[in-house]
Amino acid sequence: MNEPDDTTLMEQCTKGDRQAFETLLIRYEKPVYNAAYRMLHSRDDAQDVTQTVFLKVYENLDQYDPRYRFFSWIYRIALNESVNVLKKANRLEPLDTETISDTRGPEQQAASEQLSKSVQTALMTIKPDYRSVVVLKHFLGCSYSEISEILEVPEKTVKSRLYTARQLLKEQLERDGKD
Amino acid sequence: MAIDEKYTALINADIDGDIPADEQAELAAFLAESEAGQALQAELRDLCSTLDGEEMLDPPPHMKHVVMNSLPKAPAETESPGFLRPLFAVPALRYAATFAAGVVMAIMIVDSGQVQQHAFDDVTGLVGTMSDVSDLAPSVDSTIIHKADVAGTITLRRADPIVIIDFDLSTKGPIDIVATYDDKTVWFNGFAQLESTGTSISANNGQIRIHFEGKRRYAVYLHNADSRKLSINLQFFSNGESVHEAVLEYEGT
Repeated sequence: MNEPDDTTLMEQCTKGDRQAFETLLIRYEKPVYNAAYRMLHSRDDAQDVTQTVFLKVYENLDQYDPRYRFFSWIYRIALNESVNVLKKANRLEPLDTETISDTRGPEQQAASEQLSKSVQTALMTIKPDYRSVVVLKHFLGCSYSEISEILEVPEKTVKSRLYTARQLLKEQLERDGKD
Repeated sequence: MAIDEKYTALINADIDGDIPADEQAELAAFLAESEAGQALQAELRDLCSTLDGEEMLDPPPHMKHVVMNSLPKAPAETESPGFLRPLFAVPALRYAATFAAGVVMAIMIVDSGQVQQHAFDDVTGLVGTMSDVSDLAPSVDSTIIHKADVAGTITLRRADPIVIIDFDLSTKGPIDIVATYDDKTVWFNGFAQLESTGTSISANNGQIRIHFEGKRRYAVYLHNADSRKLSINLQFFSNGESVHEAVLEYEGT
């Protein structure tokens, strides 16, 4: 049997159906958690943000506009919450690579993960505006138009930020490779 | 050699599969003559391939339970009395008038040892003909509740020989209200609920018990044939514990 779509689940949620909310939670906890992790480079912060996001969704069910896709709404909340965490920690400015610590345990720092680590480290060296489009495009698989809807900016701006972000990441990874 | 921004954009658009045919041809012509362009294209392809290939992390297994357990038990609007107060904006006096305008009213009596035959007819007839309840069923007493478990107003109205207990309440969780009165000549005449369902009520000699949860607007009708003085004690229970008490008085005529 097909699972109900997001819109149907949201309608059920607004009628107090907690089971419907749990279905949405199961569906979106992973992408929301990953978006937050990529924005923050901290599993603990990502967990906090994810919990906050779902609580906000639940508390603001009546503010959901069904003309827009549910994932646009929840991803927007996730990115905004992540930026709030960065603001509170005075981390809005891109970090240099030496100040970025790896929050993973030693067992996870195998050589095969070196590239992944470099990518995440490079990601933290670009501004949150650029980081957001990379996260949405490459980690959450959103299209230009979906990113435009989530970030509430024109598609042209999405493309411009994405291309700049890629250039900055490429340069950062090249510098890492030379170190 | 620096590459024209236009071609950088075209290379990116091409990688994303978002390039029109005419621009594709233009890009191909550029790349055919530009080694720097080809190098950039290869680097960006590698980068995008690396980014797309990044594995999604699994969230902590307990997170779902943490979120579900931290949700407010009731929808947000019923969370606290302070937040709820605006929801009580519908004036009590519009209750019957709204009904008269055609709002469907659910009427139910689960168990009553006192209900007279045609009690429903009496109740609906009473309410349905009220165009201005302030004239026909003026308030004789009221109480306001601002507790964490229950908040709202209860108004006692008279429409001789009927006395109406007009409840407009919201709760965090299930609440039991026990209304008691000593006058054995007064009998339970009916129960009406506005725009909602889910309230259960039972009536025995001198006692009415109501169970509900969430935001509710309902009225309990008592038949007070001689319009005698009436004192109604209200006790509110949450999880079996008394959380509030109030008394409504009708002086009689």
